[in-house]
Amino acid sequence: MSAPGVSLDVARELRSICGHDNVAERPVGGVYVCPGSTEEVAEVLTFANEHHLSIGPAGGSTERSAAELRTDIVLHTNRLTEVEHYDHGDLTVGIGAGATVAQLNLMVGADRLLFAGDPPMPDRCTVGGLLATAVYGPLRHGYGAVRDYCIGVRFVTGDGRRGKGGGRVVKNVAGYDLMKLLIGSYGTLAVITSASFKLFPSPRQTKTFLAEFATANEALQFRDRILRSPLSPVCLELVSPGARKLMRPEMTSDTWVMCVRAAGSDAVLTRYQKELGSVITRELEGDSEQRMWRAIQNFGYAGDGRDDARAPELIYLSVWPREVPDVVDTLLKQSALSGVDVSLIGRVGVGLLLVRVADKEAGTAAIHKLIVVLERVFGDKITLKLRGAVNPWPIPPTNLASMRAIKQALDPNNTLRGRNIF
Amino acid sequence: MPSPAVLAQLRKIVGLDALLDRPEDLMLYEYDGGVRKCTPAAVVFPQETRQVAQIMKLAGSAGFPIVARGAGTGLSGGAIAPEGGVVIAFARMNRILEVDAGNMRAVVQPGVVNQQLSDSVAHLGLYFAPDPSSQKACTIGGNVAENSGGPHTLAYGVTVNHVTGLTVVMPSGEILRFGGKAAECTGYDLTGFLVGSEGTIGIVTEITVRLLRRPENIATLLGIFETIDDGAKTVSAITAAGITPAALEMLDGWTLRAVEAACHAGYPLDAGAVLLIELEGLAEQVEEQAEAVREVCFQQKAREVRRAKDENERGLLWKGRKNAFAALGRLAPSYYSQDGVVPRTKIPAVLQFIEGISQKYGLRIGNIFHAGDGNLHPLILFDPRDPHQLELVQAAGAEILERCVEMGGSITGEHGVGLEKRNLMPLLFTDDDLDVMLSLHNAFNAAAVLNPGKLFPTTRMCRETSGPSTNPVLQAEGM
Repeated sequence: MSAPGVSLDVARELRSICGHDNVAERPVGGVYVCPGSTEEVAEVLTFANEHHLSIGPAGGSTERSAAELRTDIVLHTNRLTEVEHYDHGDLTVGIGAGATVAQLNLMVGADRLLFAGDPPMPDRCTVGGLLATAVYGPLRHGYGAVRDYCIGVRFVTGDGRRGKGGGRVVKNVAGYDLMKLLIGSYGTLAVITSASFKLFPSPRQTKTFLAEFATANEALQFRDRILRSPLSPVCLELVSPGARKLMRPEMTSDTWVMCVRAAGSDAVLTRYQKELGSVITRELEGDSEQRMWRAIQNFGYAGDGRDDARAPELIYLSVWPREVPDVVDTLLKQSALSGVDVSLIGRVGVGLLLVRVADKEAGTAAIHKLIVVLERVFGDKITLKLRGAVNPWPIPPTNLASMRAIKQALDPNNTLRGRNIF
Repeated sequence: MPSPAVLAQLRKIVGLDALLDRPEDLMLYEYDGGVRKCTPAAVVFPQETRQVAQIMKLAGSAGFPIVARGAGTGLSGGAIAPEGGVVIAFARMNRILEVDAGNMRAVVQPGVVNQQLSDSVAHLGLYFAPDPSSQKACTIGGNVAENSGGPHTLAYGVTVNHVTGLTVVMPSGEILRFGGKAAECTGYDLTGFLVGSEGTIGIVTEITVRLLRRPENIATLLGIFETIDDGAKTVSAITAAGITPAALEMLDGWTLRAVEAACHAGYPLDAGAVLLIELEGLAEQVEEQAEAVREVCFQQKAREVRRAKDENERGLLWKGRKNAFAALGRLAPSYYSQDGVVPRTKIPAVLQFIEGISQKYGLRIGNIFHAGDGNLHPLILFDPRDPHQLELVQAAGAEILERCVEMGGSITGEHGVGLEKRNLMPLLFTDDDLDVMLSLHNAFNAAAVLNPGKLFPTTRMCRETSGPSTNPVLQAEGM
């Protein structure tokens, strides 16, 4: 952190780049800046890089609150919202990093198209934030990860160079795939200023089938049956009894729920009904279906408010699909041992689990213990990320040396210091 | 050029029977599926990752460049050795190391042939989705290097969407493991970055791939049109109807007549164009979509829409499509295949442009391509024995790609940049963009030991104003 006197000069310099109204001094020290174009982002980064100032990029603060950033400059992307290209016939869109996912959904939804990114709190989560954190929602099961449908990215490196990867077309192998490098890099290499995406036709109708089970194991056997069947649901979600109570406090049942969301015509939905069989206890459509999926999408957020210091800890676990039953079992045993309330949901078809530890104060120590146990028992069969942490990878990546080489190439002065991953 | 002493060291690493250096043997390795040639100094056939690392270290210390090679089916010159370079051929690292059906993964060596993997997991109801037209020959290592596609990438994505982990030998000789079987990685997505880096960052020696479950039902339709334009307009009309086919391919009339003569696939001889449309999924869904696609085709003035009655008919239609490039060999001694991409709504306009180029240069150009993705493959026929023709062909190709970029597209959708399109990179990327990519290249391969002269333009970037370039990639080109 710079001395207060220096900070004043920084503010003046940044105002000369971005305009008076787009720079503010932060009560905690440092400066807030909202560039209005990629050129301005490049100038801000060049300035910071030359003066050895640190920058933390910020979007909608749904992953980590901007207030928590302790950098000389917080660079907010909220003015980078321009639509770069959109032709619904091409099923592609390019948009500024500061646009929210909800804004993007609204625009393409009008043409009956779907943007497959469904992060928590889409009315706050920005496109840039979605990419930087590689966060996902329940559509991850049927549509893949954002790395699968992001087709281009524009960015400014930590040392102020403007760069680009990919383009505007759905198939493109010209040059290095810099989308992959930046997605999930938590803003440590570059500030993403805009991105292009492949879109999907919006399903004309969907229906959600719910099946309840006494144990996680039985629910996961049902998952296996679906995975071996010809069905290809758009979402396949496991909800633990604890998670269910969090989402619907009036629920008292202790069952595990598998939620199968199908898209298609009446005939297709009837086929799902037939294949899933008598194990289905409820079917949801329309508003009640939407409400349920919104709750799942916002799991770990609903009512928490990310500016609240007591927001729960959330682990994003990626597990070999076959190991999910054992991982869930271990989580439950640890929860019982530590007495800390653990609830979970997950895109279990692809081995993804979201684990929530309710009380942050009690939870921090417990969650780290949990992580140690998971690492010891499952080794390379799992990977995990911790929401909102200064270092999102509590189990250090095995390739830190390669990561450092990349960091050195794009941000040699470590200007982008919103996270500390090394 | 490696000295005799270095060749002896290479023999010691890989074994006496795993090195070629006689001119008559090396001739087989001087070309790939493209039009460029260069004879390597030697070809080595490692059998394990450790040997690749030893070769890499030797290359670094003795100062000779190396290039990895799968089956040599690439179309951009990616596997062509530089002058004095050594080819690492993966023909002997061709084992499927593990099939893990429970986790829908397989671990393979780079020399495994694409089709062989799908065949070997077929009894489990699984397959590997990327399906380049050369899938009977091309290797998965090559697919990884070029981030290859194929007809069915329209619905399932290209190679990078199906790779979750890699073992890589870096230019330093270190053996690293990126990613694994889990869907998400810890740290930067180095697997995603490596795929499609055209062998310029590291050499991949093990690949963990995602397997998919075979669909319950498949419908293969052939939409027959009087004109290319009607066929082209149908492509975006199908997606506008909310249908994403598994594959959506187009052949123009001239090409399909050549294909029919060679393959007897059952294509109509008098059509202006055909669309080969494949729908996959639940039986109910496939039937509905097949009906919807028929309707769209007829709305767009299709003369007829046929449906493959059985697996045999389907196989024939695909045989025609996948062997089309070879079929054109009946018409001219060689062809130059382009790989431009345009937004799919621009397909009618770009096909008209290509027709204009054909007339302007007096060259025959066939169109057979992945229409659903807007990924064009204009095939320009020529006789390579006439140097003037090759120049004309390359100029015509460059004009087509320039037009693709002007329309918001790309110079390559699945073949890679390699040698062939490196000097077209500035059409897509500014000096700054290329500078960022170059800094990543130099972070791992600064001495350009690995596949020099590929991907980056040899035309001097604006910043380098005088004297020999300090950029090792350009130095390797003698710039």
